[in-house]
Amino acid sequence: MAIIVATAALVLTAGAAVAQDTPAGGSAERGQKLFVDLGCFACHGTHGQGGDRGAGPRIYPNPFPWPVFQHMVRKPRRDMPAYTEKWVSDQDLADMYAYLLSLKAAPAAKDIPLLNR
Amino acid sequence: MSTPERDNDIQRRAFLKGAAAAGAALAAATTATAAEEPRPAPPPAAANLAGDTFVTRPGSDFMVDVIKSLDIDYVAANPAASFRSIHESILNYGGNRKPEFLTALHEESSVAMAHGYAKARGKPMAVFAHSTVGLQHASMAVYNAWCDRVPVLIFAGNGTDATARRPGVEWYHSMQDPGALMRDFLKWDDQPASLQHFAESTVRAYKIMMAPPPEPVLIACDIELQETQIHAGTLSIPKLVLSAPPQADEKALREAAKWLIAASQPVIVADRAVRSAEGVRALVELAETLQCPVICTGNRMNFPSTHYLNLSENRASLVANADVILMLEVADSWGVLHGLGDPWKDVRRVAKPDVKVIHITLADFLMKSNYQDMQRFLPADLPISGDAETSLPPLVDAVKRQLTPARAATLGQKADGFRTQHREMKERQKAAAALGWDASPVTTARLATEVWNAVKNETWSLVVSDRVSWPKRLWPTTEYHQMLGGSGGAGVGYSAPAAIGAALANRDRGIFSVTLQPDGDLLYAPGVLWTAAHHKIPLLIVMFNNRGYGQEIMHVQRMANLHQRNPKNARIGTMMWDPHVDFAKLAQAHGVWGEGPITDPNAVGPALARAREIVKGGAPALVDVVCQLR
Repeated sequence: MAIIVATAALVLTAGAAVAQDTPAGGSAERGQKLFVDLGCFACHGTHGQGGDRGAGPRIYPNPFPWPVFQHMVRKPRRDMPAYTEKWVSDQDLADMYAYLLSLKAAPAAKDIPLLNR
Repeated sequence: MSTPERDNDIQRRAFLKGAAAAGAALAAATTATAAEEPRPAPPPAAANLAGDTFVTRPGSDFMVDVIKSLDIDYVAANPAASFRSIHESILNYGGNRKPEFLTALHEESSVAMAHGYAKARGKPMAVFAHSTVGLQHASMAVYNAWCDRVPVLIFAGNGTDATARRPGVEWYHSMQDPGALMRDFLKWDDQPASLQHFAESTVRAYKIMMAPPPEPVLIACDIELQETQIHAGTLSIPKLVLSAPPQADEKALREAAKWLIAASQPVIVADRAVRSAEGVRALVELAETLQCPVICTGNRMNFPSTHYLNLSENRASLVANADVILMLEVADSWGVLHGLGDPWKDVRRVAKPDVKVIHITLADFLMKSNYQDMQRFLPADLPISGDAETSLPPLVDAVKRQLTPARAATLGQKADGFRTQHREMKERQKAAAALGWDASPVTTARLATEVWNAVKNETWSLVVSDRVSWPKRLWPTTEYHQMLGGSGGAGVGYSAPAAIGAALANRDRGIFSVTLQPDGDLLYAPGVLWTAAHHKIPLLIVMFNNRGYGQEIMHVQRMANLHQRNPKNARIGTMMWDPHVDFAKLAQAHGVWGEGPITDPNAVGPALARAREIVKGGAPALVDVVCQLR
């Protein structure tokens, strides 16, 4: 199948950037539901960890800065489809961003015994 | 092996009453004895009563002798009237041993079992399929085997004599030309008209099938040939002598060696390159001699994942910087150098414009027109026809002969850099695997890691190794048999039966089999679970249960966004959420030990440990883990 990937540059951004300009009033609880209903989880995983076999890049931890996040959803590059305001409102985006920020960080690989056997 | 002998008499029942009846039956026997093949004349009506006559040496006995001569261990099949005689001959004449009859519940399962078996065992399994409907069921799995370059020996029961067909169903289940149904993805087929013809064509088919690239073949077994008395007096079975595999031209290999030695950043891309442990060793020797990184596509275990020159996960940068790429039996060579955007179909060149491509492949010898498994055309700069595995040792020799000590020393200086890249690649993979570690549904990385922990002390084989990529990235894979790739043609329904077929081969070799089983795939033909239970095929089945067709939801979602319509509807027709399928119960219903569904990642390990002990006891076991979509 054709796979959904973001640009390498933006993936690197995701790994390095610190969340900033966080929108006010985002509901993490509603955002979690939207993340599933809108199918974001299909490519990026329910925890933003990214998908196997090139499905989609990770978007957590260290999600894109809020303006970049908005841009990536509205006007993505490469294979990700664009989500317009017709079906995903700015409030929906803020809620999903709040959901990503609410996620508990996974342990580091070095602290997971199973990954070091 | 027994040899069929002529049996001249159709035996009469001792309790035949009356001289007239006896005389008539004797006349029938005489007529039948004198008749030419393929079929004796029927007895006169007076003696033509049920039970009047016997066929004590049916042609199907001879067919079994032919199959036995090929050292076939198993034949998988659903029972079907068109091969009832050879079915019975296998059981009672052949003693149900070599081949042993495996009871399958779908022809697609039969072929996929044979597909997995052949990759694990290195030799083919036979399949019986009913004419028309059975072959139609089998056809998708045959196409998978074709695309995956795997041998399957298919026998199709068929009634060619229209006057001998029973009215009704037997007509629906007869064909003029059985091979036509799947000739586009068969290497060869025939419909023998005599027993001697059957013997010669079956041995010929086996020989053709096994010549690299190995592929499926089909032999039709005429009903009348199977069911009537053996009458030929001089039946014989040709001896089987396999052809030496085609080695690439040595002059071309010398040129390839020259290019590779001179290259500053060469890369080897290995697809369906090797078929054995010897092939792996040869590729390691080539890579080490050249200090050349290797990219494995995953369709075969070509190169150890633990080796510092296996930099498969660095594919993008390696291809982008390469000045020479050696491709070894790569199905999609264009795709190595390019990408194609979806949905805009924009071509992205991912390699240098002047990269030189050497391709050792047998693709030119296996080209057909209709099915497009040949992939997009890429003209190689040095195309070399030959079997990759067979051509590797002479290529290594050619490299060693041309490699000067000074150049060898220069190449040797690359090793530390590649070791560092390999170590960093592994660290990145572990870091990526840690993401979402405690998530529920369970991440595929967590699933793969838990499974590794369960099997790492066994002599293991991941019998279908392409449905989740994490084992390829995380598990220390060193042996050819440890990862057997995927379906070839991406036909869904392969994974479960192929895993069971491979597990059968591994059972006979003392290897512990494990598979990560997609839920959608198992639901195509779950009856194969019963086959595993019935034949006591030990296999640890770990459900990669994402409760849907994960790839398809992404496709529909993409179309909805492209069409500016509701993306929330993409789950309709793609997800299996209401109700959830209970795979543990499905397993139990088929006689397989089952546990789950498991949603807590911390519960996966203990369940796998319990299942592992069931498998070590000689039975299949299934653990249902609810997973992330990908």
